[in-house]
Amino acid sequence: MPRSIWNGTITFGLIAVPVKVYSATESHTIHFHQVHDEDGARIKQKRVCSKEGKEVPYKEVAMGYEVRGGEYVMLEKEEIEAAAGQRSHTIELEQFVDREQVDPVFYNRTYYLGAGSDGEDAYRLLHDALERAERTGLGRWVFHNREYLVALRSGDDVLVLHTMRFADELVGAHKLDIPAPSRKPSERELDMAEQLVDSLHKRFRPSAFKDSYQERVRELIARKAKGEEIEVPEYEEPEAPDDLMAALEASLGNGKKSKSQSRSRS
Amino acid sequence: MPRSLWSGSLSFGLVNVPVVIVTAVRDLDLHFRQLHEKDGAPIEVQRWCSKEDVEVPYEEITHAYELEGGGQVIVSDEELEAIEPRRTRTIEIEQFVDLGEVDPIYFDHPYYLLPAGSDDGSTRAYRLLVDVMARTDRAAFGRFVMRAKEYLAIVRAHDRALMLSTMLFADEVRATKDIEAATQKSHKPSAEQLKAAVAVIEELSGEWEPGEWKDHYRRRLQDVVARKRKGQTIKAPEPRETAPEEAPDLMAALEQTLAEMRGGEKSGKRQKQEA
Repeated sequence: MPRSIWNGTITFGLIAVPVKVYSATESHTIHFHQVHDEDGARIKQKRVCSKEGKEVPYKEVAMGYEVRGGEYVMLEKEEIEAAAGQRSHTIELEQFVDREQVDPVFYNRTYYLGAGSDGEDAYRLLHDALERAERTGLGRWVFHNREYLVALRSGDDVLVLHTMRFADELVGAHKLDIPAPSRKPSERELDMAEQLVDSLHKRFRPSAFKDSYQERVRELIARKAKGEEIEVPEYEEPEAPDDLMAALEASLGNGKKSKSQSRSRS
Repeated sequence: MPRSLWSGSLSFGLVNVPVVIVTAVRDLDLHFRQLHEKDGAPIEVQRWCSKEDVEVPYEEITHAYELEGGGQVIVSDEELEAIEPRRTRTIEIEQFVDLGEVDPIYFDHPYYLLPAGSDDGSTRAYRLLVDVMARTDRAAFGRFVMRAKEYLAIVRAHDRALMLSTMLFADEVRATKDIEAATQKSHKPSAEQLKAAVAVIEELSGEWEPGEWKDHYRRRLQDVVARKRKGQTIKAPEPRETAPEEAPDLMAALEQTLAEMRGGEKSGKRQKQEA
């Protein structure tokens, strides 16, 4: 049984749903650490006072917000924590929206909710009502010294909670200044590209893709540990096509081949 | 223009589009610098060698991986590139998918792909991909390696740009089988309860307008800094007593909610956000 990281209540209207929150994701990335190249010894970080040149213990560290070059407003860590807002154990669903409307780009971290004690009926009711209404609930959650905007969805069986990015945190595409081609792609080029899209279209099955890279990082580490030389292959940078149409035609001619390639390694 | 995090090419059949990756997320968090409390001087973080007890310049720092059973191996970035030279430089579109069928739980970080050059070959190929995905309403799926990690990625058209979202691997998403989801028959709501709960949800429903949801935390933090600058002390708010009034039973709570919502006082879908 996983351990819950937060216990509280979700409310909508006057209905209270006791819940337990669990992490829904975990990372499997191999971590490395920094070492000194000449002796392979671990690098450790030291906090040093820029005025005294002496190491500073953590309890003497305050936080500074720079208001002008080199001028700081000094705050204690507890004062920053005060901004988290009123600590409560409630997430009030303030609004519901069409679940299709929320672009996944807004979703940040994901959590699963389990039913809290004596809350099983209310939990099932909220889950099934969200499913029936095809809606997502929105509310605010104070967790770990911070307030988050959260979205509550009905997953297959469980309720799923996402912390959300705020709209102003996402860069608009219009800010990117993407250079336009002198000539737009022609209808014919678009039609051919569409055929290519169709030929490569299939159902998405996330479980078909394994992170084989991590395994190979381990293999590389093992080879290196045995003292093997690792050869770094040359890689030739592919270029943009001079003739888009010809590249599309050639791709369609090779449609079958590119399909089988896509299956070759998972 | 944000800094590019990766450069290479996106390949669509035999069409190569030279691209760079930039983040689609703007960091609006307030950043604090560590200060020494007693003299207010900024704290510098220095890197020291744990063996020699001397400060180490950045150029002399390298990455090491720990071996199972002790010991470590130093591996350079170039050597890591040897693992997957192609995917380190190419995102090959392996298939196209309907975005709606991808569980949002898999979406990780959003980025944009931008054409790497402004020559016609690059910009036309880039535009072709934007236009064909907008027209077919499909997203491209591929894999690539960035900073010594392999990523699954979904690329789609977004306002004349290609947006790339890195995706979690299936084994990074936990199973739900150990979560108490109250799936036993005995917890199944009655038709009447379900209808009432859907009615409550509909009463509280509106359009998704992301810009209307402001980051209160950021605003409060700015406020804390401003007050502190004026010399005020900051106190954390008292925790709210939150034992929610136990509703006698679900059906009664649903009926009471609906009665209040449909009665004189209009529910505050919007007002509540202002709080």
